[in-house]
Amino acid sequence: MVLTHNYFVKTIIHFCILVISSSSVSAVEKPYAPENIPGATRVSAEAVVDLILSNSDLIIIDSRKKTEYLKGHIEGAINILNTELTLDDLETIAPDKTQAVLFYCNGARCLRSSDSIDKAVKWGYRRIFWFRGGWEEWTEKRLPVISE
Amino acid sequence: MRIESLSIKAVTVVIFAMIGVVAIILSLFAGTYFRQAALDAQMNSLSRVIEVASQEMLKEVKAFTFDLGMKLAHSERLAQTLQGADKSVDQDQLVALLDDPFINGFVGFSKINLVKLRLYSLDLELVSESSAGIGGLAKHLSEYLAGTVVKRNKTDRLKAVDALWMSSQGPLYSTLLPLGGLRQTGYLEVIIDPAFNLPGIGKITKTPISVFSLSGAQISTDERDGANHYLPVEFTMLMSDGEPAFRIVGYEDVDKLNRSMGKTQLVTTSGFLALALGTLLFALWLFNRFLFIPVGRMVQDMKQIADGQLDLTVNKKGLREISVLANSFETMADQVKIRTNDLERLLDLDDSAILCFGHDTEAVYFNKVAIALFAYSDNEISALDLGDVFSEDIVQLMKTPAPSNSLVQKHTLTTRLSCTRKDGHVFKSDAVINALDIREGVGYAIVLNPIADGKDDLLADYVVSSIEKNEQRMHAVEQSLNSILELARGNRGLESASGDNAQPALPGRDTEGDKCLLREQAVNVMRSALACWEHDLEKTKLDLAEESRIWPVYIDKSTPTTRTLDKYLNIDSCPKNPRSQRVIDTAEFVLRQLNKRTTIGRKKLQQALDDFRLLISGLSKANK
Repeated sequence: MVLTHNYFVKTIIHFCILVISSSSVSAVEKPYAPENIPGATRVSAEAVVDLILSNSDLIIIDSRKKTEYLKGHIEGAINILNTELTLDDLETIAPDKTQAVLFYCNGARCLRSSDSIDKAVKWGYRRIFWFRGGWEEWTEKRLPVISE
Repeated sequence: MRIESLSIKAVTVVIFAMIGVVAIILSLFAGTYFRQAALDAQMNSLSRVIEVASQEMLKEVKAFTFDLGMKLAHSERLAQTLQGADKSVDQDQLVALLDDPFINGFVGFSKINLVKLRLYSLDLELVSESSAGIGGLAKHLSEYLAGTVVKRNKTDRLKAVDALWMSSQGPLYSTLLPLGGLRQTGYLEVIIDPAFNLPGIGKITKTPISVFSLSGAQISTDERDGANHYLPVEFTMLMSDGEPAFRIVGYEDVDKLNRSMGKTQLVTTSGFLALALGTLLFALWLFNRFLFIPVGRMVQDMKQIADGQLDLTVNKKGLREISVLANSFETMADQVKIRTNDLERLLDLDDSAILCFGHDTEAVYFNKVAIALFAYSDNEISALDLGDVFSEDIVQLMKTPAPSNSLVQKHTLTTRLSCTRKDGHVFKSDAVINALDIREGVGYAIVLNPIADGKDDLLADYVVSSIEKNEQRMHAVEQSLNSILELARGNRGLESASGDNAQPALPGRDTEGDKCLLREQAVNVMRSALACWEHDLEKTKLDLAEESRIWPVYIDKSTPTTRTLDKYLNIDSCPKNPRSQRVIDTAEFVLRQLNKRTTIGRKKLQQALDDFRLLISGLSKANK
């Protein structure tokens, strides 16, 4: 009888551990970037190409890590990691706050570009474009890339 | 083989054995079918796996060609040279630039087999191509690639496009990229030989594969040991335009599956066999316990009773039907016993000495007068035969033509015999010898009337003056015998009705009287038919109903009965308007079954049938 009771308690404990661990796994799952960011215009890969071709002053900021940037990036992109983005740096690249600035990172599950955009909006930049699909969408559509 | 020669036991065993064999055959069939189904499923799976693996291989190739193409496409030297390509010097430089990867290599050089690099203008005109690599290619872009690019709008043309296409050298794989990056100046085509990468499919699927061209030439060979264990699974790799490019044959190792299926088949077949055998044995035990043994015991008892041991009882232990059957048979045996006793008593009352001998000439019955006359005890009679009590050869006597001074009838001989008593004293006696048709052959009933010669006082007591008187007594005995036999075969109600049977068919009776007479005659015919059926053919009333198909058989509480037929055996229960044709049909059926056998019963039946027909004929004439 005691043996049966112990076995029952052990089973309950195992079940609780399983539930807790599964919930913790779901908790660490990488979140998606927001669908839209106030103050920024969301664009697709094709729109990015059109923007590059039609706007020679367009500033493209790659918010990914340097290693990722070196493996391949969009033609003309400048690599500034979101955490390293400062007002001074941005003002150096784009002194005019009405200048078009495009941010991108790895894709829909990357929060770097959205973080950079939040900062830029806060600093008063008005023509911000967000390529939410990022590098994932760009390479998937097999558009030209620059690799170092 | 006649059905009568088969026993229930044999039939049951054969049926169960057949079921067992069928079960085994079915299990073998099922095993083969399941194996084929498993192989088909495995083939489909592997075919799908090869398809996915080939797509994976192309994806890997695509990545290498894209990387190589992008590096070249962003080459400033190439872009600058292309802009001045109309000059002959620039053409050489272009060729040299395009040959560079063949000479100096590139990232992923060992992963793909680069066969050509070609440059096109924005209008898809061939500008230049590498001198290295294969030759003999057409001087234009493949139709599939050209068609795809033309359909695209300006932005989409910046996207790289891939195609597996058929060249004059065989299937080739191309990646077409924009030259000059986003500010496009032309196109670069990276062409590789996909056959170089096809063996990699085997590494992905982890199965040996062989690649064949469409002409059947083997492009790559597999490394297999024990090819018999492998199941070939074919997959056709298609080009971008949907035409077949390569035939890839994967070899699935089915040895394990075969072993597993063999084991399953063995287990299944053994299981079926064991199950069938177990069921057979259990069923046989049940049949044996509740059917074969009780029936066997009953048959044994019935045989003994039929042999004359009427004191025996039938073993009733068994299922309900067997018990009912045993009870019925025992009742019948009791009836026979009672009637036999009646008959023996009647025979004992007769003044004549009556002796009965069986087909083997052994004594069967002596009446009391005969016992006294020959001075044997009851126990000694069974040891006697004809030769012990008569000097004449009775058997021979019955076979020889009758002498002129003897009164001979068919089966009957009236003569004088020399009789020998137990003490050896010989005396003469008038005798009527009657040959009897019995089951085993011919028996003899002998009625003796000793002749008093004045010397023997004992004999003088039994002398009867004339042969005619002997005959009268013989007839009386026969009549009594018939009467008793009929009583034995009929039911109790017969006695009351039997007196009416003797009524003659009187012409000119009223309608009610005619009907009554008709009923009596019908009952008489039916009784005679049944008596003949039971006595001469040794079958039951139920058999008569079933075999003739004239009378219905009812099942009453699992016991078959012949209610309608029974009504015609008793004047009280016989319908007021009896079905004459049924009665005639029954009588004729019994006569047919008797074939050419001549018996007392047959004679009676024939006579009753003739009388019945005569009555019907008379009635119909009177009605007219």
